[in-house]
Formats: sequence, C-alpha cells, structure tokens
Amino acid sequence: MSLKFLVVDDSLTMRRIVVNSLKNLGYNDFVEAADGQEALAKLGADNTINFVITDWNMPVMSGLELTKGIRNNAESANIPILMVTTRGVKEDIIEALQARVSNYVIKPFTPQVLKEKIEQILAAQST
Amino acid sequence: MGNINNNMATVFEKLTDLKNVFKFGEKIVPIIQSLIEFMKEIVPLLENINFSISDSTKKIPQASNQIQNVTSATELATTEILDLVDEITNILIDTENSITTYFQDINERVESYEKLKNMFVENPEVLAMVEKLSPSKTIQLKETRLLDKISKIKSDSYQITLSLQVQDITAQQLASVNHLIESVHNRLTSLIQDIDQAELNRDIKEISTMEIPEGVVFDPNASYVNNSDRQKEIDVLINTQSNKTTQEEIDTLFK
Repeated sequence: MSLKFLVVDDSLTMRRIVVNSLKNLGYNDFVEAADGQEALAKLGADNTINFVITDWNMPVMSGLELTKGIRNNAESANIPILMVTTRGVKEDIIEALQARVSNYVIKPFTPQVLKEKIEQILAAQST
Repeated sequence: MGNINNNMATVFEKLTDLKNVFKFGEKIVPIIQSLIEFMKEIVPLLENINFSISDSTKKIPQASNQIQNVTSATELATTEILDLVDEITNILIDTENSITTYFQDINERVESYEKLKNMFVENPEVLAMVEKLSPSKTIQLKETRLLDKISKIKSDSYQITLSLQVQDITAQQLASVNHLIESVHNRLTSLIQDIDQAELNRDIKEISTMEIPEGVVFDPNASYVNNSDRQKEIDVLINTQSNKTTQEEIDTLFK
C-alpha cells in the first residue's frame, strides 16, 4: 500500500526533519500543515492522505484536538495517527491514548524509532 | 462639705491622670523621635526600592523581545543549515550517480580489453601493450571505497538534520521562559500601582502591562535528551493499552 503522509507541526524545522526522515525510509508522498485546523482542512480536501504524523503543542488547534477531530469524523476515523512530541509525562501519554492516537514518539526521535512505529501501526492495521 | 470633698477627690484623681499622661509623654517622645529618624532614613530607601522595581519592570519587555529574537534567529539559522544539508545531499546523490555511471563505463572497457587480450594471446608485444592500456583491475575496489565514503557523508549529513530537532525543543523552552517573564512583569506592574498610585503615576504611564500573547503553546518540560529509556516507557504504555488493560494498570506502570 502506498502511503501519503500528512505531517503536522508548527515548527518548519520539525516538519522538514520528519519529511527528510520519511524520505530516508523510502516514502515520497507528503502533505504538510502548521496546525490542527489546517490539517483537518487538508484531510477534508484530499482523501488520498492515509497516515498522519502530528505534533501536540501547536497554536490554533493542538495535535490532541486534531486527533479527536479525525476520530470523530466517520470518513477519517481509521486513519493512523502517530503523535511526535516533547510531552513525555504520564498524564499526557494517557490523554493521547484516550484520544486514540495509534502510537506515540518522544522528541528528539531517531529514524529507527520512527520506522519502527510506522511499521507497528501498519502491521496492527493489516490484522 | 461632703460634695466639696468628693469634687476635690475627683480633681486630684484627674490631676494624677494628667501627671501620668505627662510621664507617658516623656517616655513616648524619644520613641517618636527615633521613629521619625527611622522614617527619614527608610523613606529614601523605599523610594530607591520603588525606583529599582519600576526601572526593572520597564526593562522586562526588552528582555522578552530579546528572547523572541533569539528564537527567530535560531529558526532562521536552522532553516539555512537544513537548506545547505539538503543541497549537500543532492550534490552527493548526483556525485554518487556520476561515479556509478563512470565505473560502469570503466568496467565495460575492462571487459573490452579482456576480449582484446584474448585476440592477441599469441602476440606478446601487443598483449603487453593492451595490458598497459587496460584500466587497473583494482578499479572495483576503488569504486566501492568511493561509494562508501559518499554514503558515510550522506549519513552524517542526515545525522546533522536529526540533531537540529534541538531548535524546536529550545524554542519551546524559551517560549516557556518568556511566558514566565511576562507574568512576572504584569505582577510587578500591578504591585507598583498598589504601592503608591499617586507617587508613581509618571512611571506607571511608562510601564504598560505586557500583553501575554494568546495561542503561544509550549511544553515547559521539553528537553533535548537522546535517551531511549523515555521512549521505552511510552512503548510499555502503548502496548498495555492495546491489550485493553485498565487505567489503574496503566498508572501502576509508572509508580
């Protein structure tokens, strides 16, 4: 299955790093958004997006609100969501899990961890 | 007579009270004098403290702006580094492709020379000449070494890219500091206004309350630590959740 990623982060630096990492993993189809609201608009306009990688702390709409927005929409409810964030405290992770993120990566991330999480999500989806 | 005696007793009583008042006055006057002396000394000191607070408060917005400038400058510098790394990576990919093409050409030539040598097996003079013209047999080793070096440079460039995650993390830390500075500034401004509204009217006009920008989001605990343990703890939680355990069970994992 070919993957089209939506990379959501208010930091241009982080978006570029995530996209570069995905390119290194052999993926070549990306869409970018600077906050949750822009991400939702892009998801609504492009039904070929089938994987979301999002930061948590963003202005306008956070990654957590974006996750809830995606899960509450029947058309996008099953899209895999990987949260990539600096927030590593227990309460945050539990909150993200309750919002039904597919997996969680702490910044700074390594390409190995990113690869592993993407593969785990895809494996879980195929079963 | 009885009335007169009573009245006199009252007069004496009042006189005694008056005497006590004078005695108390004698005792209290030095204390009041000391108090006045103390106030004379303390008032300039308080004014000085007031001035220092208002002066420092006026400088806080400047500090806050400088922090914002640092964030903007590091983001710009990081973008420039990323641009350069991308450029280097693209050049390396081009170079890698050129080297591969070049060595394919060389290998074809080596094969041609081998065929040529077979044609002149019985002519040692020509054979020696062909041998001399033929590319080195170690060419493949050279190709591998070159491509390995390019691959190493590409990998190092990518590591530089990954290390630039520090910019996002420090930006969040600086945003957190800025938020604290802005809160302190607004508290101090409010304090100055409460201390002496009339006296500090002039300064208060100059000290405007800082707007705490809305929508600025940050993680005050953001840290740049290359430690896989944090990710492992999260993985345990995620796995536990996927096995449909209870919230209490998830909580105990962190105790």
